[in-house]
Amino acid sequence: MEEVAGRIDTLQAIELAEGVEVRLRIAGPLLRGMALGIDVAIQLAGLMVAGFVLGLAGIAMGSLVTAGMMSLVWFFTWWWYPVFFEAGRWGATPGKKMLGLRVVQTSGAPVTFGQSMLRNFLRFADGLPCFGGLIVGIPTMGFGLATCLATRRFQRLGDLAAGTVVIYDKLQPEPSVPAPPPMASARPAAALRPEEVRAVTAFRERAGLWSEDRRAEIADHAHELTGATGQPGVSRMMAIAHWLQEKR
Amino acid sequence: MSPGSFEERRGAEWVELDRLLSSVEARRPEPGVEDLPRRFREACADLALARHRMYSGHVIERLNALVIRGYKLLYRSRRAGWEMLVKFLAVGFPRAVRAEWRLFWLCSAMFWVPFGAMMASAWLDIDWIRATLGPEGMQSMESMYGGDQKQQISHLRERFGSNFMMFGHYIQNNVGIDFQIFAGGIVACLGTIFFLVFNGIYIGAAAGYVHYACNPESFWTFVAGHSSYELLGMVVAGMAGMRLGLGVLNPGRFPRGRAIAEAAKRSLPLICGAGLMTAFAAVVEGFWSARDFPAEVKYAVGIAGWVLHLVYFLAMGRGAGAA
Repeated sequence: MEEVAGRIDTLQAIELAEGVEVRLRIAGPLLRGMALGIDVAIQLAGLMVAGFVLGLAGIAMGSLVTAGMMSLVWFFTWWWYPVFFEAGRWGATPGKKMLGLRVVQTSGAPVTFGQSMLRNFLRFADGLPCFGGLIVGIPTMGFGLATCLATRRFQRLGDLAAGTVVIYDKLQPEPSVPAPPPMASARPAAALRPEEVRAVTAFRERAGLWSEDRRAEIADHAHELTGATGQPGVSRMMAIAHWLQEKR
Repeated sequence: MSPGSFEERRGAEWVELDRLLSSVEARRPEPGVEDLPRRFREACADLALARHRMYSGHVIERLNALVIRGYKLLYRSRRAGWEMLVKFLAVGFPRAVRAEWRLFWLCSAMFWVPFGAMMASAWLDIDWIRATLGPEGMQSMESMYGGDQKQQISHLRERFGSNFMMFGHYIQNNVGIDFQIFAGGIVACLGTIFFLVFNGIYIGAAAGYVHYACNPESFWTFVAGHSSYELLGMVVAGMAGMRLGLGVLNPGRFPRGRAIAEAAKRSLPLICGAGLMTAFAAVVEGFWSARDFPAEVKYAVGIAGWVLHLVYFLAMGRGAGAA
C-alpha cells in the first residue's frame, strides 16, 4: 500500500495481487451517517409492517405465538439485517446502496461473512455513549464518529476490528475544467515522482473549477515545490504543469 | 506508443471485458465468460502500463473502474455451507475456547465471584440483595418462584403459545446481550467487564432472594436445564470481548490498529459459538425448563448439560486428523 506523507485527498491506492494499483475513494462520516439514517428508517418501517401483519395473524394463531415471532423479527432486523446485506452480492446495506457506497476489505476485496458480523456487532460500541444513559438509550454514535475522524481511512471501531472500509462504489470521473493556459513554463527544481507529476497535472486540469483563493490554498500545500505561496505559487505551479505536459 | 494509439489498439479488449463483467454482474453470463480471468489480468497489465507512462486521466480512470469491477467479481468469497458449520462446531469452536483458557478462567471469575458474594448475602446481610433487586425485582421474583403452586413458572406458562413467546424473547434478549458483551470489549475491555460483573451480581441476587423469600426448588428446577448453555455461552462471549479489548490495551509488537484487527479475528469463532450456545439455551429455556417434570429429572438434565459441555470443550477437535 502506498503511503504518501500528507496526502490531502481521500483516494486510497491499493495494490492488488495482480501487481496493479487501483484507487478507491473512501466515504466520509456525513454520507455514512445519511446511509445509516436510511437503514434505520427501513428497519423501523420493516418492524412496523411485521408488527401489523403479526398483529392480524395473532387473531388466528394466538397473540402469544405472534409476540414470540415479533421478538425474533426484532432480533434479526436489529442484529442481522446489515450483516446479510453486506455479506451478500451488494456488499452494502440498502441505505448504502442508495447512496452509492459499498463495504470492502482494506485490500479492496469484497467482505466476508465473518467481517460483516464483526463490523456490525461492534456498531453497539460505536453507538456509545447513549443519549439518556451511558449504555441504554438512544445511541449517539459518538465513539464511531470520533474514531472515524481520528483514522486516516474514516474507519469506525467496527471497521478497525473487521479490517474494512466504506468506499464509493463507482468512482465519479473527476471534472476536468482546465484553467486558462499558462504563459510560462518552468522546469521543476528536482525530479518528481510519478505520484507528484500526477498531482501537478491534475491541479492544472481542474484549476478552472476553483476560485482564485481556493487555487492558492491548494497550491500552498506544494510550497516546497514552487518555492512560493499565494498567487505566485499558483502561477509557478501552472508553469511546472505546463512544462511537464508539453515540453518534456 | 502514443496514448491515442494505445487506446485504439486495446480499446476493443476493454469493451469486451466490460461486456463480460456486465453480464456476470447481471447474473446472466454470456459466452466467452471463461476468458474473464485472463481478460481481467490483461486489463491489470494495461492499467499498470498506462499509469507508468502517465497516459491521460480518462484512460486510467476507465481501466481503474474495470479492474475494480473485475476484482470484486473474481475475489468474491464463497458462501459458507453446512459442512463448514459442522466443522466449526466439531473442531473450530472447542479449539478456540481451549486456546483462550486463561481468559476462560478470568471471565468465569468475573461472573461467579459476584454471583457467590450476592448468594452469600442471603444468609449474611439481605440488604445487599434488596438494594440490587429493588421492590419491582423482588416482586417479580416472588410472582415467579413464590411458594404457592399456582405462582410457579410452569403454571404461568399454561396459556397456548407462551413457551414460544418466551423462546423468542430469550433469543432477542439473551443473544443480544452476548453481542453487547462482545462489542463492549473494544472499549478497552470495560464493557465486557461491566456486563459480566453486572450479570453476576444480578443473577446472584435473584438466586439469593429465592432462598430468602421464595421456594428454591421451583427456581432451581427451572434454571437447571438451560444453565450450562446460557452461563457458559455468556462466559465465552465475555472471552471474545476480552480478547478484543486486550488487542486495544496490549497490542504487543503490532501497531494498535493492526492488533485490533488480529484480536478480532481470534475472537470471531468465540462470539459465533457463544451466540449459538445462547440460542440453544433459549430453545431449552423456552420449551423444556418450564415443563412440569419431577425435580430429579430436571436436575439430572441440568447436570448432564454441564458434563456434556465439559467433555465437549476438553475433548472435541483434538488430534491432527481433526483439522
